[in-house]
Amino acid sequence: MLRRSAAIGVLAVTALFFAMPREATAQDARGFISRLGTEAIQVLGPSVSPARRLARFRELFRDDFDVPGIGQFVLGRYWRTATPEEQKDFLRLFQEYIVRAYSTRLAEYGGEPFRVTGSRPNGAETIVSSEIIRANGSRIAIDWHLIDHGGAHKIIDVYVGGVSMKVTQRDEFASVIQRNGGRVAGLITQLRQKLGGAG
Amino acid sequence: MRVRRLPLLLSGIVAAGLAVSGCAAPGAAPGTAQTASAEEGFNDPFEDTNRGIFDFNKAVDDAVLVPVAKTYRTVVPPPMRQSLHDFMRNLNGPVIFMNDMLQGQIGLAGNTLARLAVNTTIGVGGMFDVAKLIGIPYHSNDLGITLAVWGFVEGPYVIVPVLGPSNPRDIIGQIGDGLADPGNYVAGQHHLYYAVLARTVTSGIDSRSRNIETLADIEKTALDNYATIRSLYRQRRQAQIRHEQSNLPSPNPLSGSDGASEPAMSYSIAK
Repeated sequence: MLRRSAAIGVLAVTALFFAMPREATAQDARGFISRLGTEAIQVLGPSVSPARRLARFRELFRDDFDVPGIGQFVLGRYWRTATPEEQKDFLRLFQEYIVRAYSTRLAEYGGEPFRVTGSRPNGAETIVSSEIIRANGSRIAIDWHLIDHGGAHKIIDVYVGGVSMKVTQRDEFASVIQRNGGRVAGLITQLRQKLGGAG
Repeated sequence: MRVRRLPLLLSGIVAAGLAVSGCAAPGAAPGTAQTASAEEGFNDPFEDTNRGIFDFNKAVDDAVLVPVAKTYRTVVPPPMRQSLHDFMRNLNGPVIFMNDMLQGQIGLAGNTLARLAVNTTIGVGGMFDVAKLIGIPYHSNDLGITLAVWGFVEGPYVIVPVLGPSNPRDIIGQIGDGLADPGNYVAGQHHLYYAVLARTVTSGIDSRSRNIETLADIEKTALDNYATIRSLYRQRRQAQIRHEQSNLPSPNPLSGSDGASEPAMSYSIAK
């Protein structure tokens, strides 16, 4: 009798588990961002050396972001006009550029409390909302757009205060390309120069 | 006189807005035009001139604004700066309330009114944001957003000398907000024009002092600072117009918004 009810219990739990895959994924996505955000904020803190911060950011970006997807998006219509060689060069340089730019731009949030506030499905994406509470009491809303990439979460965009970082980057790169006569090579040269220097 | 002034002013603004935006259909959803051509649509036909003014503003910023803002931050202790910030925000309350109402955002208008009542009294004339502590967060609003909600198009992107990124719709909005502001009105009635000027300058120093690092970091890391700021400004305004963070469902109607959230990186760019 006891064994039977235990077996039913196990069955019920198993059934529940499979009945709510979506809930589990959403929970999972929240946990993923919670861990990532907390770690990133920690890495940005004043006690971490700039070299170590950069190294850790490089890892975070490579492992948790959909780098090829973002790279293609930010090049916009110029992706198709670029040669395969340029595409390869661009992806490599762009990755390093993002890592350097954002480890600098986000440094001021270092050590401030970060918390996940919710998540919602958005088509194939999951959007996880979070916020940073600044020392002066103001809150900064950060929305993370995630896709499921072979069972692993990958970030495809980050919205800070309603502003898409991916779109901002695309707009900037498009402007650089336009000012270089529509040539992707011009952007690649500028990226190389920027990275070649101090920062 | 006082009663008649506002409608007159509004019709003037609407007329001017119509002229600038070429009679946009009032029913058109704001932002659709931009979304459709988002890939290349910087909406910046005067880019060369704008870049010139942008460089000029940068020089003014380096020579005057940033040093003043830094001095302010060094000399004035944080609690006093916070109080001044809260005070300036409270002064803007009536204009925010007006725009909440004009946009039909009754919930937000209720928040603004409650904040004004609480902060002006218990918060000692607005020097302490008591309302935030009891769960009524601040949100910004302005006539530029109202005009967008009503269907006026933004017009070309422009850089205003000293003031920075804008567009005809936001410029008209700023002028309208300034004229409709009861504080400015009272000061005008008593010929205390320096008070209006002092308020503008103080609020400018306050905002600049709050984003020195943010803007410096963007400038340092950007390939094209001008294009980055342009994108941030336009996206931020679009998000504000959508009332994105204000429309999140909340169990509590009085604190029913995420509108207190600061726009972070784009804070100064599109307040």
